Amino acid sequence: MSDLVVSCEGITRVYADDAVPVHALRGVDFEVRRGEWTSLAGPSGSGKSTLLHVIGGLDRPTNGEVNVDGQRLGGLSESQLSDLRLNKIGFVFQAYNLIPVLTAVENVEFIMQLQGVGAAERQTRARATLTRLGLDDIGDRRPGELSGGQQQRVAVARAVVTEPVLLLADEPSANLDSSTTQDLLELLRNVNEQHGVTIVTATHDPMVMDYAQRRVRLRDGAIEHDESSSGA
Amino acid sequence: MNPMLLFQLSWRNLWRRRRRNGLLLAAISFAVAGVVVLNSFIRGMQVQMTQTAVNNMNGHVKVLAPGYLDDPGIARSFDLAKDWRPDVLEGIEAEMVAGWASRVRVPAVVMSERETRGVQLVGIDPAAEAISFIGDMAVEGERLSGSEDGRLLVGRALAEQLETAAGRRIVLITQGADGRNREAGYRIAGLYDAEGEGLEKAFLFTGIANVQNLLDASVITELSVRLTEDRHGPNVLSRMIDALTGLDVLTWQDLEPTAAAMHEFVDVAIAMWFLIVMGALAFGLINTLVTAVMERTRELGMLRAVGMRPRAVVVQVVVESMLIMVLGIVIGLALGMLLYLPMASGIDMSAFAAATEEFGFSALMVPKLEAGDIWLVVSLAIVIGLLASVYPAWRSVKITPLEAMRR
Repeated sequence: MSDLVVSCEGITRVYADDAVPVHALRGVDFEVRRGEWTSLAGPSGSGKSTLLHVIGGLDRPTNGEVNVDGQRLGGLSESQLSDLRLNKIGFVFQAYNLIPVLTAVENVEFIMQLQGVGAAERQTRARATLTRLGLDDIGDRRPGELSGGQQQRVAVARAVVTEPVLLLADEPSANLDSSTTQDLLELLRNVNEQHGVTIVTATHDPMVMDYAQRRVRLRDGAIEHDESSSGA
Repeated sequence: MNPMLLFQLSWRNLWRRRRRNGLLLAAISFAVAGVVVLNSFIRGMQVQMTQTAVNNMNGHVKVLAPGYLDDPGIARSFDLAKDWRPDVLEGIEAEMVAGWASRVRVPAVVMSERETRGVQLVGIDPAAEAISFIGDMAVEGERLSGSEDGRLLVGRALAEQLETAAGRRIVLITQGADGRNREAGYRIAGLYDAEGEGLEKAFLFTGIANVQNLLDASVITELSVRLTEDRHGPNVLSRMIDALTGLDVLTWQDLEPTAAAMHEFVDVAIAMWFLIVMGALAFGLINTLVTAVMERTRELGMLRAVGMRPRAVVVQVVVESMLIMVLGIVIGLALGMLLYLPMASGIDMSAFAAATEEFGFSALMVPKLEAGDIWLVVSLAIVIGLLASVYPAWRSVKITPLEAMRR
């Protein structure tokens, strides 16, 4: 098993929808080691979210190559990319993005349902994950009945329940207050340290950056600074 | 992709927009019910037209001497063995044939003390006429007792023109086989009522042997064969053509081309009616589904972002619309049956008798619900539902998950 979970070489991403092309990424070389928590930081428009999306196969680079857990993304079809995201990557989004018609526990089960995990195992794992994240009392509520913090924790539960190789979190604390953010980050630290899940976050939030072992700062689509620490 | 998951997501999504989906469901249900009921009327009229054409002494298959249609008379006659029967011909099963009747039909002039009219004198075997309207027409007075009966059955409308009545005598003049006129007086056994005055004014009935004696010819001018089902027609026709060489073997469509054309037109009209109603429904469905999908573009993008394949997203949207469609069809069919059943025994249209008779319909309109038509409605609705939902579903996956999530 390679030590590298993410490997990007010469990634450029140019949005040419408007009259003036926008260079979101300009030849980025970037690697993430297994078990590492990396935080992508930088001002708006620096390219951190774009890089996160390219790593997650949600966006395709204009040039360059991305490998996730040894799999080259460039040659994959949309369905193959879906399979890769389903089986190897967990996502936590800024806007939670839970499925509104499913309860919290059903949302957590959802990815396992897509993977074809049997009902009994699914329910057991989903309930156990919710309990581990302190959400066992809200399992039967739908997202509309949950606070922002609770929804984000359910989203984390959904992302980690299948024990993905890589967890990508885009501005996970953007809609949360500092206390809830703290809880969320403790949760991510637990997932990272206890379960060895590699995490990449894109954030403006200094609290999130402080929790990461490695901080990569982007500016104008290029890596400006790459710094490691032992975390908060 | 887990079918239960697809069903669960689709079913719950239906309940997110209760009012809109409820209205759509109502529209589908009413459209299906309306199509079913109105179709049963159109099909009922078609069946009635066919029955009328067959009942008018045509049968499904009719045998005539060559030239009879252009110059009807005893000179265009033919002879068949007394024990001839169609159901012993090769390829014709007994259960295909409901009955057959031989007749002598010649033009004649009928005179009462006051009036004279031109008519068709028809010699019949009353026992064999269960296959035509003669068998079940109402008669005031007495019916003919058999093929030897020398009395007449006169239509009520003709009797009024002739100013005569049951029990009175009238005189008939017709041309015999030798070309010379025959004249005889007959007593009226009874007055019959038929569907439409046209029939009552056109036909005089008497025993077939009576006409043969009058004409001095032991021949017939026509043989009608009635079948148990329309679908046996082509087979029986071809077998009879093979067996009866030298004679004209015709279908009711040949003899009543207007009714036949109307019959075919009704099939086309029903198909067009289905398409128009269901087409209008499809636009409503597409509109609702496009709106529903656009509202959820972000959510569908998220489903793909977390690993749902584009095809599964399309299937989920299609399943969602098919659920509404199937529910609408079931409710629509139930509603259609509720509306149809009280009318199934017929609707009295006697207030419009003149118009209905003009078009060959009975004053009793009997709607007809055919399994084939129901299947057509159901399958058309399902096909339209599928087509209408594939477009918005396709729209939902033609953009990347990221684009979808940014909307």
